[in-house]
Amino acid sequence: MTSIPRQAIEILRRDLRRELRTGEVLWVTIPFGAIALLLIPLAVGTDIPLLRSLGPGIYWVVVLLFGVLVAMRRSGADNQAQRDFLALSGLDPAARFVGQATANALLLLGFELVLGVVSIALYDSSLTGWPWLLLILPIAAAGLALLGTLAAHIVESLGGATALVPLLVAPLSVPLLLGATQSMEALRLGRSILGWLLVMLIVMLTLAIAGILTARPLQEAQ
Amino acid sequence: MTTTLVEFDDVSLRLGTTQILRNASFTLAPGESVALFGPNGSGKTTLLRLIATLLKPTGGSAQVLGADLAQAARINVRSHIGYVGHEPALYPEMTLFENTDFAARLSGKTSQEAMRALAAVGLDGAAERRAAQCSHGMRRRAEFARVLLSPPTLLLLDEPHSALDADAAALVNEMALQVTERAGGVVIASHDRERVHEMTNRTVELSGGTLVS
Amino acid sequence: MTRTYLQIAAIGTMVTALAAGLLVPADAVQGDVGRLMYVHVPGAWLAYLSFLVTLTASVAFLFTRKLRWDRIAVSSAEIGVYFTGLTIALGMIWAKPIWGVWWTWDARLILTAVMFFVYLGYLALRKTMTDPIVRAKRSAVFGILAAVQIPIVHFSVEWWRSLHQPATIIRPDASPQIDPPLFAALMMGVAAFTVAYVALMAVRIELARVDEAIDAAHNSNAVVAGDAVGRPNLKVEIHD
Repeated sequence: MTSIPRQAIEILRRDLRRELRTGEVLWVTIPFGAIALLLIPLAVGTDIPLLRSLGPGIYWVVVLLFGVLVAMRRSGADNQAQRDFLALSGLDPAARFVGQATANALLLLGFELVLGVVSIALYDSSLTGWPWLLLILPIAAAGLALLGTLAAHIVESLGGATALVPLLVAPLSVPLLLGATQSMEALRLGRSILGWLLVMLIVMLTLAIAGILTARPLQEAQ
Repeated sequence: MTTTLVEFDDVSLRLGTTQILRNASFTLAPGESVALFGPNGSGKTTLLRLIATLLKPTGGSAQVLGADLAQAARINVRSHIGYVGHEPALYPEMTLFENTDFAARLSGKTSQEAMRALAAVGLDGAAERRAAQCSHGMRRRAEFARVLLSPPTLLLLDEPHSALDADAAALVNEMALQVTERAGGVVIASHDRERVHEMTNRTVELSGGTLVS
Repeated sequence: MTRTYLQIAAIGTMVTALAAGLLVPADAVQGDVGRLMYVHVPGAWLAYLSFLVTLTASVAFLFTRKLRWDRIAVSSAEIGVYFTGLTIALGMIWAKPIWGVWWTWDARLILTAVMFFVYLGYLALRKTMTDPIVRAKRSAVFGILAAVQIPIVHFSVEWWRSLHQPATIIRPDASPQIDPPLFAALMMGVAAFTVAYVALMAVRIELARVDEAIDAAHNSNAVVAGDAVGRPNLKVEIHD
């Protein structure tokens, strides 16, 4: 028997390795998100001042809606036989949740970074107070990863129900969306962003606790 | 610890709208090796997953390695169970070594042990090949390697002979023999009656939700 | 029998409340459109009440593993989704003549819409599962997760609104003094809707129980594994 943190690290390694080999996030999800950033101005208007003000908002909506696909990727899922193997291997379900959520968070952070560059290029966004982004981006990625992983675990083993994940995730991602966009807004206006960071941290914490506590009942309910 | 490895008394199992078992009784004693036969769709795989503690019975009393399947404590006996299902459980993107090593690390074993387990099933030459590029039989062997990492008290095999060459089939026999010699038990679900008869002491037929010895 | 009494009571109080809502004098500012409030406000009350009941029943199920709690949870969620939808629709019909727009970005409206989608997701999730125990467990987990997140959604939206006051629209909570007869009509509406909720719950829970009983009977009627597979017969004429 191995400790839970060790097991979580093994799951993280497995997920990152599988993503590295299939490139699902890199070659599918990221380009898809980038196209969304390109399409929206075609629909709402392409004048620079308008895009400069809409840019951060569009960016975060695309990150939240398209980022769900990271948690839904095929190479991040376990089929029935793989879940059986994991259950019998002595893997603690909480370790599996933590490992998968961490892998999703890292992939989402990559997704945010690439799309961030695309959005700056397309929308000419300002980067006032950019050092704070070093906190905002990882926290938002972790929050969304936890939400997506939890939703993916809830629909796991329900055959073909993965299409449900975005519906379960999107309404509950409101605090993350507000936290991220309002932090950027506060930075632009030179206000404090700590309150909004706290909101995102609380979301993260409740989701992490919920995911860890429900991991075992969800695994055993198949 | 009870004297039997598996003790099913009047067990029922329903999955969704399908009744797999209806008041079925079954025992497996130490050193015993049982062949489980039954037509397509009769629920052999589900029964094996039930014995593997992966499912809970919907009625009756079921004990596996002393643990009641209806209780949460069933997860404590899992490390003594070796189960090889007939669906592929390897990650296709990972090499055979990475797959085995992953199993090893989860259960506190080392990479050296993983490599030796691969050698034991004759796959040390293919260790760096991705599972997706391996034949069905090779993937099967790699799954046996994962079982060999922690020698089980209860070995459950689902269609173990499908796609196996003569060497690999002999490996299955040898693995089963090792378990029974250690006073463990083996259950093999199969359609390959001839081959399985040779390596088991007893036959159980699953049909219409009942088990007939 | 109790159900019949409940239904009679529900219809009775509904009719009385409707009469009261139509007979009280029209709102001084809003005119007759204001009468929609006698349905809108009780609808909103029920929306919140039913989701609270779903949460309580989900928690109770996870602790007791008794399917009866799951039946209460799903019944209440279904009724809740219906009343949330009704509340949003009536609110829009009321808002257009009074505010000049169908929708405004008020915190309460956003929260109600979010709850509508959350519980729609809850019901969609249930539809993907047939095994009653699995369904009860997994939906209870989601029900609780949603209920834990909703206060955070509520708080963040409220805060966001406090930073960005709406520019032109009258705030719905700029509540004017309400005349006693109008208030009485409103309270009658709330009472009538609550009785109707209880009556609907009684019927819906019974329906869930019967559904499960039918499933169970169906299962004991030998849908035994393997029965659907017969002997192959190549003498079957495949082509015309």
